[in-house]
Amino acid sequence: MAVIHTSGLTRRFGSLVAVDALDLHLPAGGVIGLVGPNGSGKSTLIRMLLGLIRPSDGTAEVLGAPITHPARYAARVGALIEGPAFAPNLTARANLRSLALLRGLGATRVDEVLDVVGLLGRDREPVRTFSLGMKQRLGIAAALLPDPELLLLDEPTNGLDPAGIAEIRVLLRTLAAQGRTVVVSSHLLTEIQAACDHVVVITLGTLTFAGPMDELLAETSEHVDVRPEDPADAEALRAVLTRAGWAMTLDGSGLRVDAPADQAPALNRAAAIAGITLSLLIARQETLEDVFLRLTGAADGDLARQRAAQAHPTLPEPQQTHPVEETL
Amino acid sequence: MLRATRSELTRLNHRSFRVGWLGLTTLLTAMFTTIIFQAASGGTPIPSSAPGGSFPSLAELTGAHGQVAGLGAAATILGVVTLAYWAIATASDYSTGLIRLLVAAEPHRLRLLAGKVLALTAWTAVAATVATVVTVALSPLVARATDLSTSGWTSNPGEVTALIASTWLNTFLALVVWGVIGLVIALLTRSAAVAISAGVGYVLVVEGAVRLVAADLADRLPGATLTALAGGGSTTLDYGAAIRLGLVYATIGLGVAAIVLARRDVVE
Repeated sequence: MAVIHTSGLTRRFGSLVAVDALDLHLPAGGVIGLVGPNGSGKSTLIRMLLGLIRPSDGTAEVLGAPITHPARYAARVGALIEGPAFAPNLTARANLRSLALLRGLGATRVDEVLDVVGLLGRDREPVRTFSLGMKQRLGIAAALLPDPELLLLDEPTNGLDPAGIAEIRVLLRTLAAQGRTVVVSSHLLTEIQAACDHVVVITLGTLTFAGPMDELLAETSEHVDVRPEDPADAEALRAVLTRAGWAMTLDGSGLRVDAPADQAPALNRAAAIAGITLSLLIARQETLEDVFLRLTGAADGDLARQRAAQAHPTLPEPQQTHPVEETL
Repeated sequence: MLRATRSELTRLNHRSFRVGWLGLTTLLTAMFTTIIFQAASGGTPIPSSAPGGSFPSLAELTGAHGQVAGLGAAATILGVVTLAYWAIATASDYSTGLIRLLVAAEPHRLRLLAGKVLALTAWTAVAATVATVVTVALSPLVARATDLSTSGWTSNPGEVTALIASTWLNTFLALVVWGVIGLVIALLTRSAAVAISAGVGYVLVVEGAVRLVAADLADRLPGATLTALAGGGSTTLDYGAAIRLGLVYATIGLGVAAIVLARRDVVE
């Protein structure tokens, strides 16, 4: 069963297309990472799914109910949307209490979620005195209030220290292990890589990739960076390695050889036989960040849209940089 | 709707709201009551009206309803205070981003609006009670201190009770309409500062300007109408007409608020 299903989902703000004919099918269970450059449409998508803004075109369902009737699934969805939002003069407990009352929940649920995020003991302090990290925890607590089947968390680790980030990662995994679906957007790609089973990449409002994290990481390539001691030997080294059958690109004063780590000794031998001493020989594996930058074209969505808006009265169809997996 | 009301009451129940709203109500009511009696006893001519308000005559202060006359004079400024706090309560949902959580939790937006209006109406009832108590308690003291006769004041317990009840009701109704105006402006502008500025500017400038060119029309504008309502009617607008017009303003205001909240995207 899909927890989120969209078909041609589009949202325009004037001439700006924030979400562009998005077809998405997210299965139930696990932690799903939602990534994309700034202004890629992630938050607009989450807002549409929660009924905060209406789509310009297309349809979508959350937990089997259309987003035109968010009341049908609101009690089963928890969300942290673009950072924590609370009444600053109220205590953490009073803020959660007011949200619990709105959802028809009792005071015991407030205690439970405060305990989950580690804020019991600080819950009677005004939110205005909280650090950003504590506000984030409170935001997650608010999202957990309805004991949701689906959690939509926008940048949940924003403002947390490394220990807090690790704690939230464990929490997300625990929540998913309980049978919930956790959709988390983040700019911390290492966190997405560490916490998520699936990943959705959105660029300029369009779907660039959707699939298991393993599938995305399988697209990462290995290479070996080599640099001759004498920069003047770079061309000679290139010729030697090319003759030996390796493909490579010039990278500054060194070479980036398309080769797995286990071929590093062979590269070293070939250079030595040619009389070239290497000052650097290091095997590297592309990270999720590298793949992300490759998929998204390293585009800052806000800037890209701004440039496009200046160049055209309406945005052109964005270039798709990678074959799209429409179903996870 | 009950859930939304209880939720809103929880959010409104903080010190700055209690002390601010009720404190200002107490201070301004006391100030107006004192000024009116002192001015009357000193022979200072009391203006029949000023921007956003009207003042009781010496005869009214020493007449049967003298002990509550100060409240009618303070009603407009209390209305502005009410407008401000309704606006703050509304706009802060947007400035803090809380509206996102509220709408996500309760997608029936009109229930959210109804809950907010009911909760703020309950607070307004408390504010009207505070204002009435301060006026009734302070008026005899100020009258005595300023040597104004209170012999003409109603002393029959039943009549006094009825007088206080009707004064409270009129003040409450007028303040609620002021509050609705604040809520609507805050919903439209999503800014408490703009809403308060617009409300105060309207009372002090716009109605005064309209009065200069079309006095008959000015008598039926919100400020004058609500002043008449709070005072149980005025020389230019009787009580029944004031209630009817006040109801019209409140209905229009709530209608606009409902449309704006229901139809507008939550982009905060």
